[in-house]
Amino acid sequence: MKRFPELKPNGWDMMVLAVVVVLGIVLSLGWMSAETDRLTAKISVDGVETEAVNLPQLRQEEERTIQANGYTLYLVLSQKGVQVRESDCPTQDCVHTGIITRAGQSIVCLPARVTVQLQGTVAEDGVDAVLG
Amino acid sequence: MKLTTKQLTLCAMLTAMALALSYVENFLPLSLAIPIPGIKLGLANIVTVFALYALGPGQALLILLARSLLGAVFAGNMNALIFSLLGGLAALAVEIFLSRLPRLSIYGVSVGGAASHNCGQVAAAVLTLGNTAPLYYLPVLLWVSGFTGALTGLLAAGLFRCLAHTNLMKE
Repeated sequence: MKRFPELKPNGWDMMVLAVVVVLGIVLSLGWMSAETDRLTAKISVDGVETEAVNLPQLRQEEERTIQANGYTLYLVLSQKGVQVRESDCPTQDCVHTGIITRAGQSIVCLPARVTVQLQGTVAEDGVDAVLG
Repeated sequence: MKLTTKQLTLCAMLTAMALALSYVENFLPLSLAIPIPGIKLGLANIVTVFALYALGPGQALLILLARSLLGAVFAGNMNALIFSLLGGLAALAVEIFLSRLPRLSIYGVSVGGAASHNCGQVAAAVLTLGNTAPLYYLPVLLWVSGFTGALTGLLAAGLFRCLAHTNLMKE
């Protein structure tokens, strides 16, 4: 026996917990965005971007079949967002993630090494809105 | 590193227990409640924390390396190796540091380890996938690790209480 640990939690442990929770809050504030319009869905396989879909330009729901590393994913893209409707990967995390609708969100399928990231399109030039 | 027969036996047994715990926790699918790739209770962290205090950092590292390697072999997936190695090494490094702080209990050490395990795994995912998409999950993973770390800390504390008066602890 090298050392016997302290077995009762105390204020210092709460400090560690607080640091972890606050770090999570800071990171989430930094990465999340309320942007739900002007979204671009970036689909990547093995770290290489295969397609970028401008969601507002979609007239109707579109499907994509993505085959990667022995697995097949069925993506559904709409103006609202993106979701993996079906996948034959063993973990199914990508399906359970559900629909993503805000900039900064992403769907990750580790077995197939497929990612879908939503990015907000910054429209600096061009007209944001026309008031009548 | 020179190991006595007793130490070697303990290391081997703890490695087997860590592998068994990793397997058993698949039956408690936390990912159904929180659909994030790679989310789990991290029960094997009990073994790491126990080994760190009972046997020291060197043997804790040996156990970690053995279980990562064997786990990847059993899963038939060498891709899993980078995940468990980066996660495990990050956790052990932070736990070694935290366990040297004078006032921190096994709970703080365990929570710090769980949080850094998740950071290591996200880093592995970023490396494997080649983009930053997995970073999006880090905040939620950190919050969950506050809970899972406290839980494994509770279980490890219980283990030490049970073993406090045995021969194992008297050396």
